[in-house]
Amino acid sequence: MTARSFSRRRFLTGASLSAAAIAAPGVLTACGGSDDSGAGSGSGKVDLWLDIQGDANQKYFNEQVAALFEKANPSVDLNTTYYKGDDLRRLVQTALQARSGPDVVRGPSATQTLAWSKAHALADLTPYADKYGWKDKLSAWAMNAFTTDDKLFALPMRVDTMMLYFNKTLFASKGWKQPTNRDELEALAAEAHGQGITAFGSSNVDWKAAGEWLMTVFWNHYSGPDALHQALSGDIKFTDPVFVEAVELVQSYFDKGWLAGGVDKYFAVPSQEIGANFGKGKVAMIPQGGWFMSQVGQYFGAKAKNDNEWDWMPIPALRNEVKYPLFELGIGGSLGINEASKNKDAAATFMNWYYGDRGAALQRMADVPATYNIPIDFADADIPKKIDPRSARVLTSLNKAVSTGDYGYVTWTWWPPKTDVYVYEGLEQVLTKKIKAADYCKELDRLFTEEKADGTIPALPAQGPAK
Amino acid sequence: MTTAVAGTAVRAPGAARARRRSAVIGWAFLAPLLVLNLVVVLGPSIATVYYSLTDWSGLGPAEFIGLENYTKAFTDPDVHQALLHNVIWFVLFGSVPMAMGLLGAYLLSQVRRFQVLFRALYFIPYVVASVVNAAVWKMLLSPTSGIGHQFGIDHSWLGDTATSLFSVNFVVDWHFWGFLAVIFLAAMQGIDPQLYDAASVDGAGRWQQFLSVTLPGIRPTMIFVILMTVIWTLKAFDYIFIMTQGGPAGSSEVVSTLMYKQAFNEYSAGYAAALGLSMTAITAVILAVYQYLRKKGWEDE
Repeated sequence: MTARSFSRRRFLTGASLSAAAIAAPGVLTACGGSDDSGAGSGSGKVDLWLDIQGDANQKYFNEQVAALFEKANPSVDLNTTYYKGDDLRRLVQTALQARSGPDVVRGPSATQTLAWSKAHALADLTPYADKYGWKDKLSAWAMNAFTTDDKLFALPMRVDTMMLYFNKTLFASKGWKQPTNRDELEALAAEAHGQGITAFGSSNVDWKAAGEWLMTVFWNHYSGPDALHQALSGDIKFTDPVFVEAVELVQSYFDKGWLAGGVDKYFAVPSQEIGANFGKGKVAMIPQGGWFMSQVGQYFGAKAKNDNEWDWMPIPALRNEVKYPLFELGIGGSLGINEASKNKDAAATFMNWYYGDRGAALQRMADVPATYNIPIDFADADIPKKIDPRSARVLTSLNKAVSTGDYGYVTWTWWPPKTDVYVYEGLEQVLTKKIKAADYCKELDRLFTEEKADGTIPALPAQGPAK
Repeated sequence: MTTAVAGTAVRAPGAARARRRSAVIGWAFLAPLLVLNLVVVLGPSIATVYYSLTDWSGLGPAEFIGLENYTKAFTDPDVHQALLHNVIWFVLFGSVPMAMGLLGAYLLSQVRRFQVLFRALYFIPYVVASVVNAAVWKMLLSPTSGIGHQFGIDHSWLGDTATSLFSVNFVVDWHFWGFLAVIFLAAMQGIDPQLYDAASVDGAGRWQQFLSVTLPGIRPTMIFVILMTVIWTLKAFDYIFIMTQGGPAGSSEVVSTLMYKQAFNEYSAGYAAALGLSMTAITAVILAVYQYLRKKGWEDE
């Protein structure tokens, strides 16, 4: 091994190659020559596959991201292809296995991206992080989630949290107040249900994994982040009654018809229909992620042929011991570099441009709600003034939650991959009464223990105020 | 005899050369397709056999574990449930569209005016992409805004574990029966009209003519369609995946959707390969039985 390395080094430093390099400096540059750290300055074509949907959203990316990047880096040609969310993941996974695919890999959540990294499909970004100072530019808690065995395997793409969207006009017309605790929430749900209004819109028809959004809400706001931190650290079991009770609570909300109007409708009513009913005031609230902010507007106002308005509130505390307001933190998606890429340096150049310009990143957050919320540290005053106040409130609320330590954990970031899949697959078994909540938690714990032992789990942020 | 042999012996060198030449030309024409088949069919097939014997996440290195995936499949309740759903699917898919197709074709064969128009109308669902059909039916079956809801039936067809599989199957049957009707109609038009005249002279009514002339007349087509139905049943995937993704709680799961989940969600691609190969083996057995019966002249009886 040593002998081979030595002879290769001798060859690389040989006179013939030096002469060629002097004669044609551009050749080495085009191949993405590296400096000693292994991270060079790249050029050439960079393929990027993305799951941005809709003409307007793709136009924004083409004009405000791709075109601006190419203008700033004329030697790099960013070639973007758009796919549907589910298709993208399958295609990327297949391409990675075949040692092909895009240079910049738009991966799934941290927990699933970790599985790709463990399979050596993603390049080690540590040299680039050192070169470009990414660790100083991005929030530590998010970077740690993508670091395993001291290697950075991807960059966090979007900060996720769960919120309770509500029809503001409906609330005003009914004289309803925003609930902050379980009693108030249940009283409101019962009243809405009694008036033929679905209290909480929810469906897994278009996104099978939607069940984990519900479990994220109930485990964080009923079981609480302390219990979750202990369970994810392996100090207590997921079979603890505090987790089982949270599952039973979800089930009881379905059984009462508060959630989705019942289990059968949760499995059958498309999300577009729920959104339309939300706009019309037939659905009062929707527990959804921050990403929903970029879609919810289509169900309100002139386009939807109603005069209603929407807003959001923090999820009420479902147990007295749990703090309010509390925001679960997580990362939706990642950007990594394909291990098989022949142009890693140029891919890193794009990523550095995307994550490195704080002003541009904040402007994107202001332009498009939630989609471009990369985890960077900023003060509330840094947020551009031209932003929807509801979007601004998400950013300031999350900033506050991180600084005070009042945050929880989303399943798709902090749970290991197979356990994460079971969170929503197993929940279907509970909701259809094939298994009991206790059995669900028992199987969850078995999978978690197995995966934790394998080390397939992202680094959990410490409790308390974080950066 | 002797003369013939002598004659053959005289012609042999030229004839053999001609045969060799035509064989070489034949192979030369076949070669590109054979190479293509080796690359895109045989290569991945061999790889699948290998991966089915490994613990493989679908990414990275695979660990050889022998027949463990196959023994796991035998005892896996999810596989048993999915296989049962495949059987139910076959019974429904093999009977409902077939019966409707036969009836539609027979009725259409009696019509002279607008026959082409009806054929086109029958065929439309089959021509529309499955993803479009599935998306439209997902909305039509919604318990809060679908067809049932308009008539006061708020049943959640796709959301109820008791009806999800049947509901998806209904949509597939709807999509498929028109295609069968057109196939059967083409076969019926190949039946000699004199047979109907003879049956009529013998006093056979419409029903008797259908049973004694039409059905035997389209027997080879029917057997081929049954064979294809079995194969399509084992391959059933698109509508289920789009409409229910095998849910709720596995109530509409078939082996192909389970395989997909294992490969792409559960990171158990080795196990998925074993499931796929098991299904291939079942298909091969069915094809072998079909070929055997065909050789025995079953189609032409």
